[in-house]
Amino acid sequence: MKTNSAARSTGSSHRIPITTRLKRDWQVYVLLLPGILYFIIFHYIPLYGIQIAFKDFKVSQGIMGSPWIGFENFTTFFNSYLFGRLISNTLLLNLFDLLWGFPIPIILALMLNRIRQERFKKFTQTVIYIPHFISTVVMAGMLYIFLSPSSGIINRLIQFLGGDSIYFMAEAGWFRTVYIASGIWQSAGWNTILYIAALTSVDTELYEAATLDGANILQKIRHIDLPSVLPIAVMMLILNCGKIMGGDTQKALLLQTSSNLTNSEIIGTYVYTVGLGQAKYSYTAAIGLFQNVIGFIMIMTVNSVSKKLSSVGLF
Amino acid sequence: MKEEAVNRKNRVKDTTADRIFYAVNGVFWVIMLFIVLYPLYVVIISSFSDPSAVTRGDVIWHPVDASLVGYKAIIKYSSLWRGYANSIVYTVGGTMLSVAVTMAMAYGLTRNFVGKGVVNFIVVFTMFFSGGLIPTFLWMRDMGLYDSPAIMFVMGMVSVWNLMVARTYIQTSIPNELYEAASIDGANHFQYFFKIVLPLSATIVAVLSVYYGVGKWNDYYTGLVYMKTKAIMPLQTILRQILATLTNNASDFAEMYDDMAVLEERTRIANVVKYCSIIVSTVPMVILYLLMQKYFVKGVMIGSVKG
Repeated sequence: MKTNSAARSTGSSHRIPITTRLKRDWQVYVLLLPGILYFIIFHYIPLYGIQIAFKDFKVSQGIMGSPWIGFENFTTFFNSYLFGRLISNTLLLNLFDLLWGFPIPIILALMLNRIRQERFKKFTQTVIYIPHFISTVVMAGMLYIFLSPSSGIINRLIQFLGGDSIYFMAEAGWFRTVYIASGIWQSAGWNTILYIAALTSVDTELYEAATLDGANILQKIRHIDLPSVLPIAVMMLILNCGKIMGGDTQKALLLQTSSNLTNSEIIGTYVYTVGLGQAKYSYTAAIGLFQNVIGFIMIMTVNSVSKKLSSVGLF
Repeated sequence: MKEEAVNRKNRVKDTTADRIFYAVNGVFWVIMLFIVLYPLYVVIISSFSDPSAVTRGDVIWHPVDASLVGYKAIIKYSSLWRGYANSIVYTVGGTMLSVAVTMAMAYGLTRNFVGKGVVNFIVVFTMFFSGGLIPTFLWMRDMGLYDSPAIMFVMGMVSVWNLMVARTYIQTSIPNELYEAASIDGANHFQYFFKIVLPLSATIVAVLSVYYGVGKWNDYYTGLVYMKTKAIMPLQTILRQILATLTNNASDFAEMYDDMAVLEERTRIANVVKYCSIIVSTVPMVILYLLMQKYFVKGVMIGSVKG
């Protein structure tokens, strides 16, 4: 078979023997190598350590040398009084986060797309991305200051309106609200990017036809804009469902105080505090594994359901 | 806006419903902008205000009794500046490493090579399943990365998301005919990657640099989990200590100061010090973003449309 050199590394190269292709493309493998090594060293080798979840891990004996104990770590966790609280805290936090955090960027993108004055639109777009560039530490710091019962601006407003000041960071009942509202402030604007990208690629002729048919803006949003962001929205939803047992451990830790623990202790923070703080490696590795397996099952389930219903899926 | 042009061309006037919509939309965005900007504005004006006014909660619309007390105080916080210097090194070094590895891998993934499916799987699978904190921690420690500055450079070296954005960008913005032409001229993959792909990818390199750079600068968790020596701590860890401790339990610090007057003064200015620390640590990132803004929103759009 004669292949013109132009088609060497593209399209129709399937009939060339593998050894020839390997030799020909060795430089591609060299370029891929650092990245592949990173994934193997930082993501795959740690998988080997998962076995300590089924062992009584002692640092002195190493991962291999520690004795197997079966599911003991898991049963200890399932029977512990903390189990129910950790699961419900984690689930509720992520569920409410999803409930608010998922639709808001879509609404913002649809509304942003409908700003007529080009300069105001650009300005708005620039502004709503800014909070994304603020670190979680700073974000948490701002919350502590703004929500302070004595000098915080929110409580000043509450007092001004005649209410009693609330110690937001110390009352467990406020934890989820603070976590979710601040998360929306910080990332809802940024999360519009993907939807905006989808909206800019809508065919202008569709709007033209709709205008001629006498459609008003809400009808255009409903029948043109919304369907065009739907595939991406479904993909984001699937990805977010995988995090239902996870959540932002870093942020939860930063907003955690000794007095809001009853609501703020989620699986991630517990694994960090008990696993690293008290060196209970095996026990918390088991909890982490449980969390990852649930996340994995969730994402696979939602993905296949979505593929059946809307033929949109990640893979 | 494209639709406006359509309307003008066809001489279709806004319906009443449309006019109401635009009015509501305008009001909506003014409120949104206020919600986003006001907290940032308060941080700025408070950092320039008199500490007592800040503590009383009087700084609401403009600086009160303008002063630089806070900034003067943090200049003397050597641990803050050491964290700052550390973070500059971690951010610059880590970002360069990340961008280089990501670009090379992204280019590789646009080629048609034996085993592409396997490599794609290796990458994507990590989005759905991981070893978890504890196994990863133990392995990092075994590798000698615990409490070593090296961890700050290598942790999260390649983000799957960034990799996909870069791959899509290369795929869609550099036509394959270029490769075909180059390979007829005898160029190999190295030459093509370094001499053609990279120079044409300035936008995406800038985008990746901002993404990785901001991520590294703002990263708190890696320092929290893997660092214990204060001298090599990144900025965010130090910042957390400043933001979380200074006021609430000032009495914890009593023994540190022989002179109660010094302690009282510290407590008095604590809030302003917090605001000033926020400003000096965050402003570089926000400026970076504003400078690169147009550049990278465009880049992300191109990279994500088909991602």
